[in-house]
Amino acid sequence: MSAIAADPGAPETDRLPVLSPMLQRLAAERATGALMRDRGTLYLADGQVVHAESPATPGIDVLLTTGGTLRHEGWWDAVAQAGAGQRVGRYLVDSGHVPGGALELCHLGALYDAAFFALAPTGTPARFRYGVSHWIGPVRPVPVAAVQRETLRRRELLDRIWPDAACDSAPIVRAAAHPGDSPVPARQRAVLELADGVRTASDIALALGRSAFHILVDLRRLAAAGLVEAVRAQPLPATASAHGRITLPEVTADPDIALLRRLRDALEAL
Amino acid sequence: MANTEASLKEAMSSIEGTTGVALVDYTSGMALGTLGGGKDFNLEVAAAGNTDVIRAKLRTMEHLGLKEEIEDILITLGTQYHLIRLLKTRGSNGLFLYLVLDASRANLAMARHQLKKIEAELEV
Repeated sequence: MSAIAADPGAPETDRLPVLSPMLQRLAAERATGALMRDRGTLYLADGQVVHAESPATPGIDVLLTTGGTLRHEGWWDAVAQAGAGQRVGRYLVDSGHVPGGALELCHLGALYDAAFFALAPTGTPARFRYGVSHWIGPVRPVPVAAVQRETLRRRELLDRIWPDAACDSAPIVRAAAHPGDSPVPARQRAVLELADGVRTASDIALALGRSAFHILVDLRRLAAAGLVEAVRAQPLPATASAHGRITLPEVTADPDIALLRRLRDALEAL
Repeated sequence: MANTEASLKEAMSSIEGTTGVALVDYTSGMALGTLGGGKDFNLEVAAAGNTDVIRAKLRTMEHLGLKEEIEDILITLGTQYHLIRLLKTRGSNGLFLYLVLDASRANLAMARHQLKKIEAELEV
């Protein structure tokens, strides 16, 4: 946990479960490059997270353009002008396309969102390519410890809302409507309206231009209210996107010891 | 054209009686930035908890059929005021500014007014 000790922002007593030992090590050695994991990539500069991307989440371009902060032309202009120099973020602000605050907020939103998926438990080993940097350029680096803490907090938040992860990756369908349902808040209604039995949480996030984690939160709340359910155990239709992946048994970095003990005891008692 | 850190600093310095300020995403409860607070007041915990306040209020308004938007929420404690201001972002981020004020030093009307100004500078 030397990385956390090295980060002055985090209290040293804050012993977090390590989400990715490799990330921990890279932070400690202040590495620069791209950490590629099963479900996303984290970009590091000097041991801090500067950007993150995941196929499960809408990128910063989607967040900026769908919300109306930036027009598509503005985005592509910035990529064309500053992409090669890896200063797209800076260019967007300097050219007056996007206010500095709005860019930071969208960027942080996209970063934490993608990191949540990139740091999801996986059985595939991660790879790190030294020296690689992202074309968005410097916006606002975040300590590795903060990213890990937030990812863990988000996992707990989801489980508190509704402890069934089925809605996270499967296509979502609306449950049969019950009369007398309590009204659904506007933001959740927008999600509900896109639950058509084909779209997954990631597809809905892309369509609405909202972060994928927000959609997971809303879907779990809707699932808890009995308004949506996951389409289960169906052969993937040809139209299903790459996001409609099957849920594999997860290999977690922090196994539930108590549960394993109970299982062992139960097996021995047989 | 302020960035988030500058906006938080401005809130701390220009609003009389401010002891802490946070910029929070109210779906995930994540504090995108915090300033102030301290050992006896964890702003990140406060930020996450207050997302439930906003959600409860939004739900209630939905139940009542009110088609209004929340501008701000004021909570008065014995010695503190907590002021929550929802940002009208052009994006659909759903953010709020959370301000903790010392009740003996703060001027509520001024605080609301200045928070409005800071919000405007952050986004446009």
